[in-house]
This record gives sequence, structure tokens and C-alpha cells, in this order.
Amino acid sequence: MTKNILETDGLTVTFGGLNANDSVDLAVPEGTFVGLIGPNGAGKTTFIDAITGYVGMSAGTATFDGEDIGALKPHERAGKGLIRTFQSLELFEDLSVRDNLLVAGYPTKWYTFILDMLHMTPKNQEIEERVDWALDILNLTDVADAMPTDLPHGRRKLVGVARALAAKPKLILLDEPAAGLDTTESTNLGRQLRTFLDHDMSVFLIDHDMGLVLSVCDYIYVLDFGQIIAQGTPAEIREDPAVKAAYLGEQAGEVQAQEADRIRESQQEEVPS
Amino acid sequence: MKELIIALIAGVGAGGLYAMLGAGLVVAFRGSGVINFAHGAVAAYAAYTFDELRENGDVYLPWFDPIPEFGFLKTLRINNLPVKLHLGEDPSTWLAVAVALLMSAFIGLLMHFLVFRPLRNAPTLGKVIGSVGVMLYLSSIIAVNFGGQNRADVGFGGFTTDSPAVEILGGTIPRSNFYLLAAAVVMGAAVWALYRFTRFGISTRAADENEKGAALLGYSPQFIAGANWVLASVLAGAAGVLFIHKTQPALFVLFVVPALGAALFGNLSSVPGATVGGLLIGIAASGGVELADKGWWPAWLPAEGVRNTVPLLVIILILYFRGDKLPIRGSISIGRQPRAPESNNVLIGLGVCVGIAILLSNIFVSSWEAILTTSLLATLFMFSLVVLVGYLGQISLVQFSLAGVAAFTMTRLAADGTKVRPNDFFVNTGWDLPDPLAALGAVIVATIVGLVVGIPALRIRGVQLAVVTLSAVIALEDILIRNTTLLGEGAKSTNPTPEPSWFGQYVGAFNPDTNRTDYWKYTAFLILAVSLVGVAVANLRRGAMGRKFLAVRANERAAAAAGIDVSKTKMLGFGISSAIAGIAGVLFAYKLPAVSSDNFSVFAGLALLAFAYLGGITTIGGAVIGGLLVAGGLSAETLGVHFEDIDVAYINAVGAIGLIINAIVTGGEGIAMLQTDQGKHILAGLRRDPTIAPPDSVLNLTQEEIQGDVEGALV
Ligand SMILES: Nc1ncnc2c1ncn2[C@@H]1O[C@H](COP(=O)(O)OP(=O)(O)OP(=O)(O)O)[C@@H](O)[C@H]1O
Ligand SMILES: [Mg+2]
Repeated sequence: MTKNILETDGLTVTFGGLNANDSVDLAVPEGTFVGLIGPNGAGKTTFIDAITGYVGMSAGTATFDGEDIGALKPHERAGKGLIRTFQSLELFEDLSVRDNLLVAGYPTKWYTFILDMLHMTPKNQEIEERVDWALDILNLTDVADAMPTDLPHGRRKLVGVARALAAKPKLILLDEPAAGLDTTESTNLGRQLRTFLDHDMSVFLIDHDMGLVLSVCDYIYVLDFGQIIAQGTPAEIREDPAVKAAYLGEQAGEVQAQEADRIRESQQEEVPS
Repeated sequence: MKELIIALIAGVGAGGLYAMLGAGLVVAFRGSGVINFAHGAVAAYAAYTFDELRENGDVYLPWFDPIPEFGFLKTLRINNLPVKLHLGEDPSTWLAVAVALLMSAFIGLLMHFLVFRPLRNAPTLGKVIGSVGVMLYLSSIIAVNFGGQNRADVGFGGFTTDSPAVEILGGTIPRSNFYLLAAAVVMGAAVWALYRFTRFGISTRAADENEKGAALLGYSPQFIAGANWVLASVLAGAAGVLFIHKTQPALFVLFVVPALGAALFGNLSSVPGATVGGLLIGIAASGGVELADKGWWPAWLPAEGVRNTVPLLVIILILYFRGDKLPIRGSISIGRQPRAPESNNVLIGLGVCVGIAILLSNIFVSSWEAILTTSLLATLFMFSLVVLVGYLGQISLVQFSLAGVAAFTMTRLAADGTKVRPNDFFVNTGWDLPDPLAALGAVIVATIVGLVVGIPALRIRGVQLAVVTLSAVIALEDILIRNTTLLGEGAKSTNPTPEPSWFGQYVGAFNPDTNRTDYWKYTAFLILAVSLVGVAVANLRRGAMGRKFLAVRANERAAAAAGIDVSKTKMLGFGISSAIAGIAGVLFAYKLPAVSSDNFSVFAGLALLAFAYLGGITTIGGAVIGGLLVAGGLSAETLGVHFEDIDVAYINAVGAIGLIINAIVTGGEGIAMLQTDQGKHILAGLRRDPTIAPPDSVLNLTQEEIQGDVEGALV
């Protein structure tokens, strides 16, 4: 059995009496691709906020890479390789695209500022290469020196994903990366997502694009009103009556499932293994 | 115990003032979303207007003659803009009250139309700069129009200096204190009722929520904003007139600090809350001062410091515990920040600047030494703002006080208990440290104080941080800088600076032979310091930590997600900036035969901030330009406006106007960036490189459009 890179046990988040996450038990096995779906307001972003330390948990535990991370600050969790993206962009707007990625990748010590002032900060070849790779995989190389504000929304979204990749995640948490992308960008992203797994990371994906989620995930959780109402492989989720009722809707489910098949096929055609 | 209770009760007098000012701040904030740092200055202008009219029958309009009658300009005898109106001898008190209130209303209108309406869509930063600009402008104009002399206005109505005493618990409290309390309560209740029951008030509340809400009730949002500005200013004016018998009108400018505490107590939205908050602050401060008189009170904590620390503590407590370590999801965005480009040609720029500086210095051209070093010192200090405000985005108004802390600490550490110069009044005792050590110690102390002051910034951001640091300026001045126990007998007036000698070389600027501050070794020393710090600050921007500073400035949530320890990064920024401010403070002290707290007054600090913004707060070039612009610096002296004492106020008023225009026109980016844009633009034109788009919209017109325009004009 592979070990779980992330595991939550009874994770609960309460906002003024309302349980935005209600006793969520969820696991991401190392090296796998796990999805989380659910209707608007189900508590998906709140879940990411909770495990990355942006909101406090009112009950339960979160374990990352074998360590209880409940007491760690957000940047400490990021330092351990638990890297998130944001649903609402949140880029560094006055840094170039490349610098956005370098911020995430470059390690600094307390004395780095002294080296900076002497203009002696050592170049870190490994990180520069990693940044180039992240830019390349998301088709951002041509805009590396542009400002994020000069890019269309879809590409800005991808800068957020690239920034997370540059930070050398063990687990990358993607909050609706495909929202706001046009069809080409979205298909392209779908194609790239699984290649992330080849770079020593596990992936956790939230998205409303059912076609995308069903096609790329190994395992899917379904959240509604803060509770996990179903889980399973894409095939199981597609057939699950509770999911159909709560989320997909009878008709929509069919359409989405067909879409998923279509994407899967296109992937097999175009990505040589 | 009894004395304490009496003191607490007497506190309702000052508390009433803070309450009235706090209520006005709430009104302005609700109408326009601006925290008005100039609110106390409006009260001050009204109070001066009142007193001037009663004394001399004159009214001064809130501006100055752009071609002043001094220096060689005196001979021109031109008066371009009417400033002074004579309303006749011995006008009645009520006329004076009415004119003072009208003047406040007029200032409110001007603020709305000239400053805050143009800034209504500006990012937070722009609004803060705008309102600090108005504060600096009004206090400079007060200095120009009403001069520096003391006023002794006896007040009017029940609010007079000879108000009969009320006996309580065997002590006496002037009756006017209770009138002030009553005035604050009546005023607060009236504004509350206005918001509660009138259509205008309800529209303001609706506009608070969203602009459409107000429009539905039939008022345009801009009308509402304007009307609230007038109302807020009239409230400030009323507070000024009612309280003038207790104090010097000039002091009103800084009463904005306790008033901010009061307004924050009301969460910037509740007038009754602000009224209660103001009264509580007044009561607590009065009680604190009473306690500070007791025998057991530690001598190193002076009573005046206590009075000014109360609002600081209230403000910090309210904001710190309301704030979050990271902004919560969806909290209002801070808006666009001024660009902070890397400087690529650091060494070339350095060479050019140093070359010019050396040319101007006494080595080649005589008698410019003192002026040149004023600009250099300002630039050096502004580097600290570039790091903290420019790179890290923390709007701190307190950095110049840290320079003061360093200057005074240095004199203390280096003093040896003997007279430095024959005509020194005070003799300072100290540790007799040799010079590099005394300077180093001073810089370390300034850094530590800066770090402590920076702690609130971990949870308080944007304009609220500006509020905290402004109140820290006032508290620091009384707790540290003017503290005779800590910093020596001269701390309240002039502290002689020991003659600095680094490794056997005298590097002070004061030349005992000429009695001027023009010693060439000092200039050389200063050029060296400015160069080293400037290069270091420019390099910081290019390095890994500098990038993290900018990331924190842009988005703290995302910065944490990228693994940045936001708290530590902010502390690092405060530390670096405070150390630079400390270096500037020590070198400033080296220039003077003696340092005094006036050298580091809050207005001097705000003026430096203003000129730093005007130059460009995000770049080294901006700091250099800012340094040239300051009063007493190269540009002002070249233009020849240095003939009379008043010059500083003039230059600062001009600087304040520049600051406001800068906020409106360039989004706070400053002259350096304009010039960069122009430079790029010209280069682009020369190279005809299509990839660099000219920034100017006119230049984006197509040939056809231009043709069309020309034809249209011909027809
Ligand atoms: N800071 C907060 N304070 C109070 N309530 C919150 C907060 N953040 C989220 N909520 C509430 O928690 C619930 C879950 O929100 P969340 O954003 O996690 O849903 P989501 O599944 O990500 O939705 P979407 O698909 O729209 O992104 C919502 O009802 C939301 O209003
Ligand atoms: Mg969400």
C-alpha cells in the first residue's frame, strides 16, 4: 500500500455556526491524482484554505507527509511542499510573470538581504531550470517578461498554476484552474495536468469542468454542504445516484461523461507515452 | 485617589474635543471612504481664522501668493492672488464664529473638488497620500499666513479662559470642561439624528453600502461625498473654535491622532461610538498624566509622553485585535501599487551623481556645501522610505522620528561630560564612546525602536498602518526624543553634538572658523555614505529578498502560499529601513552643532515623505530627485527662495501640492517614473521599435484619425 501524502480526519471548519466543512475524511495517496467536486458553496475552497492554514479548523486533524500540520502557519506548510493555487488569481501584480515564479522558487535565508545588497546572491541553476520548465509546460514562455496585468484572464490563471509548480510541491492543490480558460487553453491544461505526476508530486484538483475532472483523476470525492457524500473512481462517481441527484443532474451527467470520454481519447491520440 | 478622580473628570474637556473631531472623521469617512489626516489641520485653520479676525479684523484665504513678496521678488511688487481680506475693525464674536465655520466649509469643498473627488477611484495608497498632502499643505499654509507667534485667545460664550470653577471632591474643574462635554454630546447626537432621520443621511448610509443605493434615493454619490466633506469640515471648525481658549491653535493639527483613536473606537462608522471613544481617550489621558506626577512613577516616562501614548495604545489595541495575520479571503484589495522597476545601471547612475555632487561641493565651487548636504541627507533618509514604503508597501510615517532617535542617542553615547563648544548651553554626560562605535550604537538603537514600532504592521496594513505610525510619531517624540532622563538635559531644547572624528579625521560639517556648516570632509563623507547605501538599496531590489518584499507588497496571501514568512519579511523591512533612517539621523547630527527635537518634528518627517513620493518612492532615482526638491536643498536654493525664515513653509506647501497632484496624476509613482516612461518613449521613437508601445493615448491614434481631426479642424 502506498502512503498517503495528505490525510484529513474529521476536518471541520465553522463560520459563525455554519459548518462549511463538516467532518471531512479525505486521503491523497502519494503519486496519485485526486479530485474534489461539488456545487457552488459546497466548501471546496474552504477545504483547501483549512489544510493550507488560511482558515482555522474547529475540529479534526490534517496530516501531510506523515506529520500533523494543524499548528503550522501557512508559509510553513508551503515550505513543506504543500502548495496551493487560488480560485481568485492572487498574483503578484507588479512582478513580471517570471519573477512571480522566482519568488516561489527561491529559497532565502535571514542573511540573503546582505548578499542582495552586495549584488552577490548566488544564482540557483536548479530553480531557474524549474521555472523555465513550469513556464514551458503551461505555454507561458513567450510572456515570461510581461506583467500579469497585461495578460488575458485565462493566461493569468495559468501563471498561478505555474507559480505553484515552481515552488517544488510535493502535493499541488489546484482550485478551479480551468475556470475562465477558453476551450483550447482548457484542453491543453487537461493534457498537461497528468504529466505533473511525473515530477515527484501528487495532485489535488477542484474544478467545475466535469469533463476535465472525470478524465484526469484517479479518485474523486464529492462534497455537498460541507460533507463528503460520495467517493470513488471516475467510473463509480459517474454512476453514483447520490452524485447525480446532488450535483450532476440526470441529463448533465450523461453529457459530462461523454465529454470526458472525448478528452480521454484526444489525450491518447496526442500524448505519446 | 481623590486627585485621580478629579483628573479623570477633568479629562472630559479634552475628551470633548477628541469626540467632536472623531465624529467629523467618521462623517468624512462615511461620505467618501477617506481617513482624513488633515482633519485636525482644518480645525486649526478655523481656530486661527477666528482669532485673527478678532485680533486684527483680517481673514486669510487658505492659499498663498504664488509670487511671494520677499527676496528679489519683493522688488517686483506683484500680488497675483488675493490672500488677505480686511473685514473691518473689531468685528463681533459671532461674526468671527460664523466666518470661521464658513471658512471650514469652504476648505471642505476645496478638499472635495480638488483632492478627494479626483482621487475617488485611486488605490488606498493614493488616498492616503492625498490626505497626508492636505495635512501638510494646511499646516504649511498656517505657518505662512498666520506666522509662528503665539495666540492668546480667551474664547467666547461659556468657552472661555476665565470660566468659573466647579468644585468637585474638594478640587476644582473649570466649568468650560463640562460645556465641552455637552457640546460633544449635542454635536454627536445631532449628526446621529441627521444620519438616522433625514433623506440625506439615509442616502449617505445607502451610499456607504453601494453607490447605486444612494442614486435610487435621488442623490448623486458625488453630491453626497461633497456634502459630507462640508459637514465634516464644519464640525472640525466648530471644535476648533470651541476649544481655542484651552490651547494654541497650531496644536490642533496633531489632535487628529486622538481623534483617529476616537473614530476607530466607533469603527469609523458610528458617530455615537466615536463620541464615547473620544471622551474615554480624554479621560484616560488626563488620568495617566495625573499618575505620572506621583512619586513612584518612573522618571524615564515623562507625563507628556503619557498623554500622547494613550491614543497610540487605543489605536493599536483596536486595530491589532481586529486585524488578521493574513488578509481574509475577498477582503478589499489595496489596488494597484506604484511600479518598482529594477535599476540596471546602478554604477553608471552612481558615477554621474557622485561626479555632480563633487563638482558642486566646496572642492570646486565654493559656498554650496551646506545646501548640497541638505539634499544629500534628505536623499539618504529617503532611501529608508524606498525600502519600507516603496519595496515593501508599508506606509510608515514614523521613520524620520527614528532618525531623531539615532541622532539623540549618538550625542548621548559620544558625550564625555565636557563642554564641546565654548557657547554651548548644555553639557551632556554620556558613555564617551569613540565615534564609529557611538554612531553604530545609535543606529542599532534606532533599528530596535523601528522593529518595535513595526510590530503592529504584522496585523495592520494600508491606511490603518499610516494611522498607527502617525500616532507613534507623537508618542515617540515625547517618550524618547524629548526625554531628558534618557537622552540628556538638552533633549528638550538643544543637545550639543560631540565633534565627530572617525579614525582621526574630523568629519563634522560645523566649521568653527566660519561658523557655517561647510566643512569639506563632511561632504565627502556624506557622498560616500549616500553612494554606499544607495547602491545597496538598488541591489536589494534586484535580489531574491527584494523580490520577496515586492511579493509581500503585492499580495500577502499569495506570498504566504509561496512559502514567504510575511511577518519576518515585514520585520526585516522595518529593520533595514530603520537602520538607514538611523544612519541618516547620525549624519544629520554631524552637520549640526547641536540637535533639537525640532529638527525631527512630525512636519519635517511628513515633508520628507511628501518629497520622496514626489520624486518617486519606489526607486533610487526618485529619492535623489526628492532630495533635490526639499526645502533648503539644491532646487529651492537655486531658485533663490531662501531669503527669509518662512521659506520652509512655502517650499513645503508647494511640495504638498506636488504630492497631491502626484497622487492624482501618476497614482503616486512620482517624477522618476514619469521620466523613465518619457525616456523609454523617446528611445522607442528613435529606434522605431514597434514592440514598445508609446504610453500616451494621443500617440495611439491611427493616421486616419489624425487626418480626420485635421480635416475637421479645417472645415
Ligand atoms: N471567511 C468566511 N467567512 C464566512 N463564511 C465563509 C467564509 N469563507 C467561505 N464562507 C462560506 O462557506 C461556504 C463554503 O464556501 P466555499 O468558498 O468553500 O465554497 P466552494 O465550494 O469553494 O464554492 P465555489 O464552487 O463557488 O468556489 C459558503 O457558504 C461561503 O459563503
Ligand atoms: Mg471555491
